[in-house]
Amino acid sequence: MNMLSKKSIVDAGSLEPEDIELILSNADSFLEISRRDVKKVPTLRGKTVINLFFEPSTRTRTSFEIAAKRLSADIINFSSSSSSLKKGESIIDTLKTILSMNVDLIVIRHSDSGTVKMIDRFVDIPVINAGDGKYQHPTQALLDLYTIQKRFGKFEGLKVAIVGDFLDSRVARSDMDLFEKMGMEVTIVAPTMFLPEDYSEMNVRHNIDEVIKDTDILYILRMQLERQDRKFYPSVMEYNRFLTLDMKRLEEMKPGSVVMHPGPVNRGTEITDEVMDVGGTLGEKIAIEEQVTYGVAIRMAILYLILG
Amino acid sequence: MQEKAQILSENDIDRIIKRISHEILERNRGSESLVFIGLQKRGVPLAKRIAENIKNFEGAEIETGKLDITFYRDDIGKNIKPTAQITDISFDIEGKNVILVDDVLYTGRTVRAALDAIIDFGRPKSIQLVVLVDRGHRELPIRADYVGKNLPTSHNESVEVKLKETDGEDSVTLVVGE
Amino acid sequence: MAKNEKKNILIKSGTIIDPAKGNEFVSDIYIKDGIIAGIKENIKTGEDDAVKIDAEGLIVSPGFVDMHVHLRDPGSEDEETIETGALAAVKGGVTTVACMPNTNPAIDSDALVKYILEKSQDAACSILPVAAMTRDLKGKDITGMGILSETGAAGFSDDGKCVADSRVMYEIMRYSTQFGLPLILHEEDCFLSEGGLMHEGHYSSMLGLEGISSLSENVMIARDIMLARKSGARIHITHLSTRGGVEMIKKAKGEGLNITCDVTPHHLFFNDSYLTSFNTNLKVKPPIRSEEDRKALLSGVKEGVIDAIASDHAPHLDTEKNTTFKLASFGTIGLETLFAAAYTKLCLEEKMSISQLVNSITILPAKILGIDAGKIEVGKTANITVIDTDAEEEIKRESFISKSKNSAFIGQKLKGKIIYTISKGKLAYMSK
Repeated sequence: MNMLSKKSIVDAGSLEPEDIELILSNADSFLEISRRDVKKVPTLRGKTVINLFFEPSTRTRTSFEIAAKRLSADIINFSSSSSSLKKGESIIDTLKTILSMNVDLIVIRHSDSGTVKMIDRFVDIPVINAGDGKYQHPTQALLDLYTIQKRFGKFEGLKVAIVGDFLDSRVARSDMDLFEKMGMEVTIVAPTMFLPEDYSEMNVRHNIDEVIKDTDILYILRMQLERQDRKFYPSVMEYNRFLTLDMKRLEEMKPGSVVMHPGPVNRGTEITDEVMDVGGTLGEKIAIEEQVTYGVAIRMAILYLILG
Repeated sequence: MQEKAQILSENDIDRIIKRISHEILERNRGSESLVFIGLQKRGVPLAKRIAENIKNFEGAEIETGKLDITFYRDDIGKNIKPTAQITDISFDIEGKNVILVDDVLYTGRTVRAALDAIIDFGRPKSIQLVVLVDRGHRELPIRADYVGKNLPTSHNESVEVKLKETDGEDSVTLVVGE
Repeated sequence: MAKNEKKNILIKSGTIIDPAKGNEFVSDIYIKDGIIAGIKENIKTGEDDAVKIDAEGLIVSPGFVDMHVHLRDPGSEDEETIETGALAAVKGGVTTVACMPNTNPAIDSDALVKYILEKSQDAACSILPVAAMTRDLKGKDITGMGILSETGAAGFSDDGKCVADSRVMYEIMRYSTQFGLPLILHEEDCFLSEGGLMHEGHYSSMLGLEGISSLSENVMIARDIMLARKSGARIHITHLSTRGGVEMIKKAKGEGLNITCDVTPHHLFFNDSYLTSFNTNLKVKPPIRSEEDRKALLSGVKEGVIDAIASDHAPHLDTEKNTTFKLASFGTIGLETLFAAAYTKLCLEEKMSISQLVNSITILPAKILGIDAGKIEVGKTANITVIDTDAEEEIKRESFISKSKNSAFIGQKLKGKIIYTISKGKLAYMSK
């Protein structure tokens, strides 16, 4: 019995505030389960979840897999590179095959924007978007929100700076949808080539130094070089000068502020080695590992709420 | 139409809890190796009160945990109970005598789920069950070791337990009809 | 329609729109042996002499001229053929089609122009082959435009592509002045548009779909206006999609340049907000642009800056559209919805007169192509379309005659239904 207001989770923007609250409030229980010696409850015994990954992914796939297993659901991984599903070999045919096996829920990742929305229209069972192209990655946005809730205990009025390749990032799009919905103030820090042609309606800065002292949450995007069809950004040196989080900038951040990143970090590009390995009070600012831990709890909560 | 009849008063409940506290000590020959686990949500304050009594009687500090059995229920998908409450068992139950505490024993399904859940935390020496009210109608072969009050009921009746910690007062009421 | 072949046709009491004369009147039309024999009130014929069409309350228009159609023949006959494309055309009231040369092989030799002309003999409507400007549409070697025009090419185009090399384009323009045929230009700077899937703007940013900037079209229109001014070529910008394009063409016309243009019904009908459904039938080139652009295109038609409306009928198989937005092919079919889509937007919403709409799909494109069509005249072969402007229809996939069903209009309610089409003197289409 689905306790969320919609069948599926396709994009962050269409999540109702009640759904967001339900997911976040349930996550605490699952966080506790994940800390037990026996990290498993029988809740979803007999349910079958399929991880349908048309794009390589280790982190998200593993996170969903652990989440499903801790709830005692059976989870099957189906990986297929998008390139083997070219024209003529329809995704719909692949789905028909999977649906004939009576699965209860599909987790999908695909390299092309909008594909999960298309699939959701086609199938009757719930679908969870685990990232599609440059469009959306709603479970990432939810785990980011949960991380912020854990750190700050509130959302309203928090200042978030999202730094990096905004244009090519599904994480940035999903985060922006949820962050703004929860009353946070979002600034995008990016060079022109990582912004839409017209960004006059957006709150944009080009240099991380303009936001570093004032921001509560510094959300650093992965420099997704693999998603750039043509390379327009001049060099890593140029990136380091204007956008990279280094020690000097970390020290300038205000007390209580945090650094987040969807992972994996390209050390030396978006964050320096030194910052990644820093300990002590400054090290406490880095919430990247928390995000991963909370990711499992959030995904357990989602699976439970949809299938439980 | 609803009719209500008070079964236990604040004083009754206080006496029962004291009596059960003594029984637990008697049966287990003291407080050594005892741990308490209260079932969410009214088993939690009951467990705390028993632990408090034992501390007063014997001076021993007994570890007390909370257990939510939402994820172990056998009726998941049949009822809407969206949000699970906190489970907090931050001590080792291996080899311990676990005293499981709940307010009302009815079909036995909640206790069945709780037994599954406890065993996921380790292998206790024994599990004993405390309930404030046993209203009968068991659907599983489960019985309580310590019973506050046996209260024969019919299916269209319900038992309403109120505790100061959760509801602002101590009382047990029998409610007839919807 | 075989049984009607020998019969004469009498169209009774229709409201005739004759763009050539610029008037509108109620009359009968008698067609004898395929030739318009009389246009006057109360024509009497013998009992069994003619098929009678009761056109009272209906519009009687010259058959439409669609100057931008992909018939996919030769090479992709699984998507469309000359025969099926012509049947789709007459269902849409179109009696003359100019077909684009980006077939396989491309129409870049006199043999291929002849192939189209011969295969079109028995087609339900007239088909005019547009030949390639460069060999195999590669944008490098100029085709034998002289021989091609002698063979019967109706114009030249590298449609689907844009000649990136400005020198080559300039020489094509200069050479074309020798033959007097129009150059039909698809304006797209392929470096600016590379990898793009939809209009670059708010929605592309929201949907994570790679954008195609309006600049991609505008830069090339600006270049070609300059080249045409110098060379004196007659250029026609096809499927115009941007506000900037409308403004530049308006200015160029103002200074007396020999430039014309057309727009598609889908660019007049949709804006990029429709793409939030990720409907692959709305993936077209040039892309469906912003509301601001759409408004500019509508004004462009109303003010006469935009001369013609053409469908850019682009058939694709289901396998090319039932896939991800990124992998899907560009294009929508449009022959069968040409009038209804344009009428619904321009006449019903924008209150443009129906005669102005009829001009833009009859006499004006005929003029651009330099052909004798788009008129109702005694002594000429009958090409006539009878329209019920009150009939409303929800467009359904099953209703298409075209071999491909990739219509952007599926699910839309359109007004203005083609009831009869008389093409090449014969009753070629009759609605059920």
